[in-house]
Amino acid sequence: MFILPKLHLENVFACAQCGYCVKKCPTYYFLGWESASPRGKIFALKEFLGNGGKLDEQKLRKLGKPLSTRIFNCTLCGLCKEVCHTEIDVLEIWLKIREILYEHRLVPQGVIKLSEIIQQSKNIYMMDNVSRTDWVTYTSADVNFKDSAEVVYFVGCITSFSGRVQSIAQAFSSILNSMNEDWTLLKDEWCCGHPLVLSGGIKEARTFALHNVEMIESIGAKKVVTGCPGCYIALKHEYPKLLGKKPGFEVLHSTQLLNSYITSGKLAVPKADVKLTYHDPCELGRISGIIQEPRMVLQSITDTFIEPKYFGRESICCGSGGLLKLVNPYLADNLAQRRYEILTSTNADIIVSACPACVQTFTQTATTMQDGKRVIDISQLIAEQLSLI
Amino acid sequence: MNEVINKLGQEYVSVDLLEKLVYSHDLAVLPKFVKPLFDTTPVAIVRPKTTEHIAEIMRLANEYRIPVIPRGGATWGFGGTIPVKGGIILDLTGLNRIVHFDEKNGLLTVECGAVWEDIMHFLRETRWKLPTYPSSALSSTVGGWAATGGIGYGSLKYGPFLKNVVKATVVLPSGRIVVVDDKSNPNLSQLFGSEGILCIFADLTLKLIPKSDVEVPFMANFSNFANALMSAQEVLRLTSPHSLVLKAFGFVRTKDYVESDTYFFGCVDGNRYEVYKQYLTLDNIVNRYRGYLVPEDEARREWEERFYTLKIKKWGPSILGNEFIIPTHKILDMVKYCWQLGNQAHLDVEVEVMFISRYKALMFQLFLCDERKSLRYLMSAAITKKVLDAAIKAGGKPYGYGLWNFQFMERAEPEKKRELKRIKRMLDPWNVLNPGKMIEVRLRLGFPLPGKLYSMFMDGMWFLRRVM
Ligand SMILES: Cc1cc2nc3c(=O)[nH]c(=O)nc-3n(C[C@H](O)[C@H](O)[C@H](O)COP(=O)(O)OP(=O)(O)OC[C@H]3O[C@@H](n4cnc5c(N)ncnc54)[C@H](O)[C@@H]3O)c2cc1C
Repeated sequence: MFILPKLHLENVFACAQCGYCVKKCPTYYFLGWESASPRGKIFALKEFLGNGGKLDEQKLRKLGKPLSTRIFNCTLCGLCKEVCHTEIDVLEIWLKIREILYEHRLVPQGVIKLSEIIQQSKNIYMMDNVSRTDWVTYTSADVNFKDSAEVVYFVGCITSFSGRVQSIAQAFSSILNSMNEDWTLLKDEWCCGHPLVLSGGIKEARTFALHNVEMIESIGAKKVVTGCPGCYIALKHEYPKLLGKKPGFEVLHSTQLLNSYITSGKLAVPKADVKLTYHDPCELGRISGIIQEPRMVLQSITDTFIEPKYFGRESICCGSGGLLKLVNPYLADNLAQRRYEILTSTNADIIVSACPACVQTFTQTATTMQDGKRVIDISQLIAEQLSLI
Repeated sequence: MNEVINKLGQEYVSVDLLEKLVYSHDLAVLPKFVKPLFDTTPVAIVRPKTTEHIAEIMRLANEYRIPVIPRGGATWGFGGTIPVKGGIILDLTGLNRIVHFDEKNGLLTVECGAVWEDIMHFLRETRWKLPTYPSSALSSTVGGWAATGGIGYGSLKYGPFLKNVVKATVVLPSGRIVVVDDKSNPNLSQLFGSEGILCIFADLTLKLIPKSDVEVPFMANFSNFANALMSAQEVLRLTSPHSLVLKAFGFVRTKDYVESDTYFFGCVDGNRYEVYKQYLTLDNIVNRYRGYLVPEDEARREWEERFYTLKIKKWGPSILGNEFIIPTHKILDMVKYCWQLGNQAHLDVEVEVMFISRYKALMFQLFLCDERKSLRYLMSAAITKKVLDAAIKAGGKPYGYGLWNFQFMERAEPEKKRELKRIKRMLDPWNVLNPGKMIEVRLRLGFPLPGKLYSMFMDGMWFLRRVM
């Protein structure tokens, strides 16, 4: 018998069922049925809970599978939390329920498989983890593997392994070099564990947090910087919860570091005569509140920066969040296309983002749509402007 | 169901168990002990994409005598979208297109499932705006408002929704598609507010108004309700605001979470000079009644938050609410009575008064409670009956009947009830469209639920609530 913490329980009951989240939900937008909406899911959860927050095991056995499908047909983009009438931390609820479903082995098959892959190979691609730094050879990047350094660049699985976005790592390394940072890569970086948290495998994620923190602390780094919003959330917010203590280093997203270089005058990027638009990754913008920094960087590069429809806290998901791509690739593609069309309707020359998953998704969409629009990460844009790559 | 699936296509129909569960309710929480009285689980949910789809469903419903329950945003709290004897729920939110925009004359035809906020977005780039919209505009639908009260922001200056609709396409219970206006038979005002029992609104043509030069929100704080009320009435006498809403809180359990002051807020619109003059008058009146106007940015924030009227619920975590229309000279008595009831039941209460004219207001009260304590919740629910009893005595009437308020119609609007019954018999002889609501309520086994019995039961609950 599982008992939800009091706060979570009260949150479910505090839902006004006003439906303000319904229309905003990017997956409901395509699915259309009430059970696909945050409001519908909260109502269903309420029905699963008895007094005192106990989960009705009988109901869970009967309806657990269909509930699980709904819970995982979600990008965890957090828009529902943003518009919530009664200020419920809906995102926390989705994660908590995933955890319960995981413990009951009610999560979709693909999610179980992913969790096994990560535990086995320490990355999301089932690759030999030794090849995690092969991107260095492929991109001829100039990188360091030091025993002690001020800064650790935590690359993350997608940037390390996915050929489409490995150049983000190359670009960011070159910027760190040009800034004369005392930096290093981890000799044995593991998946940050965020995909495990999204799967519901909290206990499993803890092992990954322990390993990565141990590695970083052994280097004595004061700062860890990552270009991946998922890794950023893991390092900054999930690790303290998983480990029960705050690790002894500061965590930054690459856009924060880049912005600090620019505002302090350490980095001057020549202006480019291009029209740029920016897609706020959900986990970076709405969820982590890093909205201004990437904009300040971009506005220092171009005079024609165009905001797309739905930006900042209201940005809509590219479809790659919440493991949706794994669970329902067709739906994820629909989301990607919708967002991509909104971004291209700005008529910008380049679509910029600050997340390897978003960049990878939109690059793929651009290929499918055959409109040749360029999609890049903010670090790539800067490195190119500085002729570093 | 096979026939429905054959006619409409699999993708528009669901018989999934979880789906049925989440469609079996609306905004209000059904007390656990009341649920077994009705068959609230639909046999299927259908999401029509065209008016013809709706008509098809109605034809089949007549043929097989299956209830059909129209559903928009499901933001109404009186049980209108809850099945009482199974049937098909028609989720109309997929019918959300803009059908036609006559920019020259400011007429906009939209499908019934269009959400108000989307219409506002659509109008952003034009010179027109909506004269009135509900405070649930972020999720409720145009068809849902036509079927219910039709009073909201802007109604004070521009009239209720009904006054701002030119015509509508409706599907009658027989499945016939007709266009109705002021002169048709049945006409628009007969069908407006019929809570989904007489017809299904498929699309509506809305009258728009030109955007004003300026819209200036205002907000005034007072240390007591009587002063706030007198001030608001004076404002209504000397100015013509777009909206004016009065809020008051009566806290008995906790003192620290929201200021228990009274305040009113609203907005004045028009040309620059006119608005400036009105604002000065407003300032004068507020000062006279020992209140003060808050700075404009604060007032603007309150105005922008105007759709978030249930915020207080998070402290409940449940609410018991009701709404009624009341003569303005009875507002003070009613507010005092709500506080008295709150005190007796030991429940915190928020009261909101939305003025419709100098003489009438829509009053809305929320008692904070906890649905997890099932028996206590059921007993507390009787508080809303006490409020409505008092409102009717004071010359008011419920702002909607649905399932929960049906017992009051005979007392509050007997003639309207007879008229509705007559039209219902004529249009829906098999009683397939949203049966068991508004004019009669039947229990699971088909027995009618006598209003008097229900009333006595609620009084009994209230007695228990007070003594326990
Ligand atoms: C935060 C909040 C604020 C609110 N503020 C206001 C307000 O300012 N003014 C106000 O009047 N109400 C208000 N309401 C109540 C409610 O939102 C309105 O009545 C709204 O218009 C209902 O629309 P809906 O689409 O949600 O309808 P639903 O709740 O889905 O349905 C309501 C009734 O209408 C019927 N119905 C729905 N669509 C159709 C259709 N196309 N044809 C025929 N019948 C149909 C249903 O069967 C049901 O009986 C508020 C509610 C909330 C939660």
